[in-house]
Amino acid sequence: MSVPPIPAALVDMVGRGVSVHVASRDARMRPSVMRGLGLDLDLAAGRITVFVSREQAGQLVLDLSANGHVAVVVSEPLSHRAMQLKATRATLRNAVAADEAVLARYLASMERAVQSVGHAPRMARAMLAHRIEDLVAVSFTPDQAFDQTPGPKAGAALGGQP
Amino acid sequence: MNGPQLCDIRPCLEGVIPAVMATCAADGTPNVAYISQVYYVDERHVALSFQFFNKTRQNILANPYATVLLLHPQTAAYYRLHLRYLRTETEGPLFEGMKAQLAGIASHTGMQDVFRLLGSDIYAVERIEALAGEPMPAPPARGGMLAAARRCSERLARGTSLDEALNAVLATLTDFMEVRHAIVLMLDGAGQRLYTVASCGYPTSGVGSEIGLGQGVIGMAARERTPVRIMHMTNAYLYSQAMRSSLEGSAPDAAAGPEIPYPGLKEPHSQLAVPVMSAGRLLGVLFVESPRDMVFGFEDEDMLVAMAGHLGAAIDLLQAGSEAPEAAPAAPPRPSASGEPLQVRRFASNGSIFIGGEYLIKGVAGAILWKLLKEHAQGRCDFSNRELRLDAAIGLPDVGDNLEARLVLLRRRLDEHGPHLRIEKTGRGRFRLALTRPVSLTEVA
Repeated sequence: MSVPPIPAALVDMVGRGVSVHVASRDARMRPSVMRGLGLDLDLAAGRITVFVSREQAGQLVLDLSANGHVAVVVSEPLSHRAMQLKATRATLRNAVAADEAVLARYLASMERAVQSVGHAPRMARAMLAHRIEDLVAVSFTPDQAFDQTPGPKAGAALGGQP
Repeated sequence: MNGPQLCDIRPCLEGVIPAVMATCAADGTPNVAYISQVYYVDERHVALSFQFFNKTRQNILANPYATVLLLHPQTAAYYRLHLRYLRTETEGPLFEGMKAQLAGIASHTGMQDVFRLLGSDIYAVERIEALAGEPMPAPPARGGMLAAARRCSERLARGTSLDEALNAVLATLTDFMEVRHAIVLMLDGAGQRLYTVASCGYPTSGVGSEIGLGQGVIGMAARERTPVRIMHMTNAYLYSQAMRSSLEGSAPDAAAGPEIPYPGLKEPHSQLAVPVMSAGRLLGVLFVESPRDMVFGFEDEDMLVAMAGHLGAAIDLLQAGSEAPEAAPAAPPRPSASGEPLQVRRFASNGSIFIGGEYLIKGVAGAILWKLLKEHAQGRCDFSNRELRLDAAIGLPDVGDNLEARLVLLRRRLDEHGPHLRIEKTGRGRFRLALTRPVSLTEVA
């Protein structure tokens, strides 16, 4: 069975450095949200992994564990290009030492990205500070992808199912 | 433990770093999106900009709960707001304040053709969370604002004239707040235009220049009776440009009469206008600007609102004080007027007054000057505010006439225009017209 491809536009953007935010909701339909502290694309498996801090995102982690509903927005700070990905079967695991390389690569890309909009790289380091033992890896295969760049085309479906 | 209050995180609400908002559809699908503006309304409410009919919009109309993640622009500390949608406003003070801020954000981020405020979505703030993290140290708190407020209050309380009150405000701005460019404007009697009575930091004072209600940052602050603050250069509120193009675009309008140029910066990057009010009435606008980005923050806005409140009260009290003239001073020797007569012409069509070939003034201030000059020709030189107020021909409105402001305007225009005509204060509610050259008066039909 073929794996739904990760949108090519997302692969491009992630290479240049993107902010990533993760949302879910609880049984009462109250939303939860936190910034991702790392991002990884597994093109072969069609899986996206975002790292969040348990300490910062307690409710989000609870909600994702409980129902698997996830919405993720990635955005390129300078161009405002943004894309939202949604899935209903997110899986969680604790981060491990082997994830450090991904986290370091992501931090380096974000240092460049925040500099492009006039912030010092230490801004990115403060935003993304973490302890590996506190991180949770949230993985999902996107069911839907939407263009979310501000403007008339925002909200348009990108590949995937509408 | 008590969480932070909204006032503790106001730097996060300046639109420097976009916030992120999560909502949830009725079917349980979460949504997450960037929002350019989280606007401080009061300690229990924020307003978010509604710019597009998108999924976020659909969701909050179906399920009013939203969670917003904020990032402190200096420390990178995270805060989470738990919000409940209440209503949308599409006009009025809050809407206009947000629209102006958004115009600055849009221009700064290259989104001026994309960002357009359709509504101000007002949310109740149910809870604020300060999140764990490793934020950078906060910059030192800005000191001296309370001391500046005190100095301004002292100077205003000591003043006995509108001139002194205006100087007190401008001096506070320049001496204690590092403001380089400021203008005070008063509302005219008909309530449709504002005219400059004082300014500092410009090559020409612009005293007498006019701005319509709703025009630019100043006109909008007046029309909506709300502070309007912009942190970046934007064409959306650049009325000097609008005025230039309207002047270029049509033949001079005889009925409107000549214009005194607006003194403001051609390309302001930071602008802040606050209404001057007293007893619920709009009296004018206090305006500051800068050629640099992000100069005026919420603390400057708080300070200017406080100053404007003091100024409004002072204006009203001075107005009331000027109602009770002191005994007339002993008749002084009439100043000697010598030399060629000055040609002073008044155009009946628009009430404008020219000295020699140059435009001086029109409107109420013009009518006052004309009356003074005509009576001076009969041998009078001392006058009282009271008689001006009672003279129907001058056309002061019954309520809130701000005669003092007209006299300040007239006196300053005369000061700037040359040494031959002067208005000198001779006591509370009294003044003298002093001429050093004879005048020849002509009414032009």
